[in-house]
Amino acid sequence: MRTARWVPFFYVGPAVLLMAAACLYPVLTAFQLAGYEWSMGTPWESAQWVGWDNFRLAFGNERVWSSLWTTLLFAAVCVSAEMALGIALALALEHKVRGMAFFRTLFILPMMIAPIAVGLVWRYMFDAQFGPINAALVMVGLEPKTWLADPTLAFAAIVIADIWQWTPFVFIMMIAALANVDSSVIEASRIDGAGWWQMTFRVKLPMIMHVIAITLMMRLIDAFRVLEVVYVLTFGGPGDSTEILSLHIYKTAFVGQQLGVASAISVLLLVVVALLSWGALRLSNPMKDER
Amino acid sequence: MQRRDIIKTAAITVFGAGLPFSGAIAQNRFAKYAGSTVVMNIPAHPHYDAMQKLLPEFTKETGIKVEVDKVAISRLKEKQLLEMAKPSGDYDLACYIVMWKGEYVSKNLVHQLEPFFANAALADPAYDMKDIVPIYLENLGLVGGPKGYLAGPGAKLYGLPYGAETSVLAYRKDVFDELKLKVPETYTEFRALLPVLKERSGMGALTSRGQAGHQAVHAWLLHLNPLGGSQACTAWLLHLNPLGGSVFDDQWRPRFNDKIGVDALKFLQEVVATGPAGIAGYGQGEANTAFLQNKAAMYLDTTSFASVVADPARSQVVGKVSWALHPKGVKRASQSGGLGLTIPKNSKNAEAGFLLMQWLTSKQQDKAVTMLGGAPMRNSTLRDVDAVRKYPEFITFVEALKHSNPDWRPIIPVWDKINVQALGVAISEALTGKKSAEDALNGAVPQVTSIMREAGYKI
Repeated sequence: MRTARWVPFFYVGPAVLLMAAACLYPVLTAFQLAGYEWSMGTPWESAQWVGWDNFRLAFGNERVWSSLWTTLLFAAVCVSAEMALGIALALALEHKVRGMAFFRTLFILPMMIAPIAVGLVWRYMFDAQFGPINAALVMVGLEPKTWLADPTLAFAAIVIADIWQWTPFVFIMMIAALANVDSSVIEASRIDGAGWWQMTFRVKLPMIMHVIAITLMMRLIDAFRVLEVVYVLTFGGPGDSTEILSLHIYKTAFVGQQLGVASAISVLLLVVVALLSWGALRLSNPMKDER
Repeated sequence: MQRRDIIKTAAITVFGAGLPFSGAIAQNRFAKYAGSTVVMNIPAHPHYDAMQKLLPEFTKETGIKVEVDKVAISRLKEKQLLEMAKPSGDYDLACYIVMWKGEYVSKNLVHQLEPFFANAALADPAYDMKDIVPIYLENLGLVGGPKGYLAGPGAKLYGLPYGAETSVLAYRKDVFDELKLKVPETYTEFRALLPVLKERSGMGALTSRGQAGHQAVHAWLLHLNPLGGSQACTAWLLHLNPLGGSVFDDQWRPRFNDKIGVDALKFLQEVVATGPAGIAGYGQGEANTAFLQNKAAMYLDTTSFASVVADPARSQVVGKVSWALHPKGVKRASQSGGLGLTIPKNSKNAEAGFLLMQWLTSKQQDKAVTMLGGAPMRNSTLRDVDAVRKYPEFITFVEALKHSNPDWRPIIPVWDKINVQALGVAISEALTGKKSAEDALNGAVPQVTSIMREAGYKI
């Protein structure tokens, strides 16, 4: 018996509509809010329609652009390092070795910790007086650093914390992808005389490129949205040296009470992330020409 | 009429309305609300940790249950704003930081307290509002008076101090005795002492807050107010500003970048240079820890810190610390601030919330919370024999309160924005050496001016 064409749509439709509503409603609300001047704690009736003024205010603010640049730099450094480390770790640990299950569990622990707790842990780690990192530096004969009081070191601190937390995510994705590589292809390439280098860069990585692309995109999106760790670790300082765009949006909304302007900057963030994700997918997807 | 007289008169007027009613009526004031629940929003803070220990007694005495929603102090405001904007909110009593009072009132989010105190069915005739430290009552409770936040014509009561504080200098008596150093009385002595202490004590001279945002501004304002007469200031500036530095002039134009403001920031830079490593990244927690863990010889901050210093579980300096007045610049000017309690407009149980607030801030419970490590808000507690025996530093605190300045920080509704987004960045840049003190403060003027104009100030 043939199923009518509309039947699958009937079953899937409600779920798709629900998902679409859940995804789109907040985005559309952000677009709507971007057209209003509205302060938190006041009734919505008091909001005033200001058209494009919030976008003008947002784009005319030098600090929006400086925090966008900080975010781009942060995302580029973090995601590059996480991808490289995650892939390297997965390649190193993909084989069956005694006790590997324990190490795999150990590696993924950081991503299970709440970001606020990660911020607090690293705030202690980087403490100039009591932090273990400075203690280690002194132990090997180096000068202790004022990590969170120096603009360059503070940026390094938020990068290190992010890499620590999210490299395990890349590792999990990669190790799962490597486990699914067809063993006959590996075997065939070995018979053909491929060495470790060729096996890795000519066989394995190309075969998991679609997972690499998806992972890259997910990490890029997350790196642009990171907030809690930076909030706790530096609150954007010293000066505004670690003020990433999401923290700037937070301050604009919750400190400056400019929900409209904050929404306008959020729209900018959305556009940047969408463009970067699209670019990452286009560049990395080996299936792009196979239609 | 003196400022203190105005506050006293206001207090008597507010509370006097409740006096004619009989004690019998007052004694039954809890009966109507027995069995109900008051929901209270508080921060994680030593004073409120102590307060929580009193709540079972309140429930036992009144039959009113209390549910506490405790959140990190950094997240308190956003949670309250979201909650208080709803038509019907969950909180019957909320703890706020002094800087938010003007904003909450301007947004019509909190109840005026006079009607509650005037209601004989609710008011406690023995409450004695005159006993509340006047500067605390003014700073934390009054809105609508001169400048919008001071006592005087138009000022109304919207909150009560609970976890209030002023600034005092904590110093390591053992270190000062050993090095035969004199505790600084003036900013000239204070400034001269910093490098000496750094060099001779083997620890940081003075610990301080310094993290970008509110923390850095707080540290700078502590020095801005009393200064103005230090050696760096010229005679004509002294004449222009006989009362020390401030953020705005009388016309609400920024003046924080004048010579006094720059001098205060340079002083803070010296504190960073001679203090424990990393001050420019210190929040209040790190500044506290540096002092508690033997890394600094002095700490100019809050009276609320005293109970922490005396707690052997947290402090390595128990018994080694003495307290002195905030050093004098052109004048003595200690800060005033901290936390207060208010009743949200959208509370479902405002009257029971008021009863809890009144009970907590009563003479008896103020002493009780103080003995548990909280911060007193009543003169009777600060002078109580048991309390002073346990906390001899109260003698200094009482003296410090005489010099407490309610106008040390302009707590207008847009202050939070200026504090965090403009001055907080500029001062942090000066503390990390990215900019000079002059460039940092001059650079913040356009942004602060713009925020003030957006807020409707004609400058």
